[in-house]
Amino acid sequence: MRLVIARCSVDYAGRLSAHLPEAVRLIMVKADGCVAIHADGGAYKPLNWMNAPNTLADNGDHWVVTNPKDETLTIRLHEVLSDTEQEFGDDPGLSKDGVEAHLQELLAAAPEVMEDGLRLVRREYPTAIGPVDLLCRDSADQVVAIEVKRRGEIDGVEQLTRYIERLHHDSSLGEVRGMFVAQVIKPQARVLAESRGFVCVEVDYDALRGLAPDELRLF
Amino acid sequence: MKFRCEREILADVLATASRGATNSGGTSPVLSGVRLDVADGVLTVTGTDLELTIRASVPVGSDSTGSAVVPARLTADIVKSLPAGSVEVELTDEQMMIRAQRSEFSVRPLALADYPTLGEPSTEPFTVPAADMADALRQVVRAASPDEGRVVLTGVLIAADDDGVKLAATDSYRLAVRDLPQGSLMRSGDQVLVPARALNEVQRLLGSAEEMRVHLGELDAVFEIGDVRITTRLIKGDYPNYRNLIPASYPNTVTVGRDALLEALRRVRILAQGTTPVRLLLGADQLQLSAITTDVGEASEHLDASYSGDEMTVAFNPEYLAAGVDAVAGDEVVIAVIDPMKPAVLRGAGHDEYLYLLMPVRVP
Repeated sequence: MRLVIARCSVDYAGRLSAHLPEAVRLIMVKADGCVAIHADGGAYKPLNWMNAPNTLADNGDHWVVTNPKDETLTIRLHEVLSDTEQEFGDDPGLSKDGVEAHLQELLAAAPEVMEDGLRLVRREYPTAIGPVDLLCRDSADQVVAIEVKRRGEIDGVEQLTRYIERLHHDSSLGEVRGMFVAQVIKPQARVLAESRGFVCVEVDYDALRGLAPDELRLF
Repeated sequence: MKFRCEREILADVLATASRGATNSGGTSPVLSGVRLDVADGVLTVTGTDLELTIRASVPVGSDSTGSAVVPARLTADIVKSLPAGSVEVELTDEQMMIRAQRSEFSVRPLALADYPTLGEPSTEPFTVPAADMADALRQVVRAASPDEGRVVLTGVLIAADDDGVKLAATDSYRLAVRDLPQGSLMRSGDQVLVPARALNEVQRLLGSAEEMRVHLGELDAVFEIGDVRITTRLIKGDYPNYRNLIPASYPNTVTVGRDALLEALRRVRILAQGTTPVRLLLGADQLQLSAITTDVGEASEHLDASYSGDEMTVAFNPEYLAAGVDAVAGDEVVIAVIDPMKPAVLRGAGHDEYLYLLMPVRVP
């Protein structure tokens, strides 16, 4: 990670043109190539940015960042106040809340709860855009990518869609199908998931934990 | 677009529609707004979270036509706070002006283009008397589960057979079933699972109405009460076969005054803290309620009752027991028990159209 605090002006040229006039800003250049220009405020959102992949041409007093669509971010450095670089190493990723992580662990131990004949290949199966919660094979030996959520909402379906697209690039896996698993799946998410051919499964967290409730139940 | 309306009426219609605009899924910021449509001197206010939609209409003074989406809560709060009398609302693309006497508010509207298109009911309606349905909903909806982890239990099953229509709800600890006479409500064999949340809204509006029109579709149900329309998605899923849970006979039955039991429960519950159950000691012509919270204290109360059966103690969750006693009709409640581990049935004496099945709590 390279952090440059500089008095700079920025010009973006691409789908539209945007100009940031000269001011002191933080320029972040991440290890994967992402470049983001931040003001001293405004929460997490940069004023301007360019995602990886891109190329950064350091021309001394100005940088030109170009992406594959030929969009450019030109950063003119009028005065560099600080320029530091730090190796971060591998990031462990966002830790999921306790229930979701535990749910994933319980399902990994008992994949047949989700579908008869399902067997685990790997938890947190790595892809270029992040790990798939569970990778399993079904009774016909087909690979099943599984996204596990506490509450199944549309963003979870989109996430699973992205993983499946990635996994399709790996020819060693063969045909991959998706399964969306949650304690409860919202109706809109179910419709979207099923329209994309994903199987939706709701699971009972308490039952998976083997909790025998003290209260007597009707069923 | 410009219209004028009495504050009380406008506040009421905004509050009603806003209950649909919860944006609980957080899917789109525009869903935190209500849509205002003015045409032919009628203002229609719509709030939706895509699962529940509430649309309310009211006549207003207006010669204009137009639509806008405005922040639901903010607008309702502003109108509610205004002095009594006439309120003028003027909407442009950039702002909504709300004026009343010397007060003036300006609020930025939300993006009308982002607001979802909401369809009209696709099925023919049938009409049910509001009083019957209000009573049935009051008795049944309370037993539905609030836990979205078991989504089918968050609904009320409305099912028709040759004998009539039954409403049923259960959270797996208790079950409420109410018979309605078969009118034109549904065809025998039909059944739908309606979210209890929507029926709570229906119940709230039924109080002053005489009748309700109902459209039942494949995916949603529409309830029309006066100038308010509530549209809800139906829940898909297999509802538990509750009929098998209702025992055919009970060897032990106690009959006790409903109000006296409710009052006694209210007092004894004070010492049923946390998850402590309330115990019912069933004996010859008396019913004793007691609750013991360790390290705090205990309470007991005797009630006159008529009892037939073996002496026994059975314990219940006090909240669920009170809800059941409150729900039954009539002056007396009949509690029928098999044994302390099997479900008990509460009915109003002489009111067989409703039953409340309640699972006991295991006590040492």
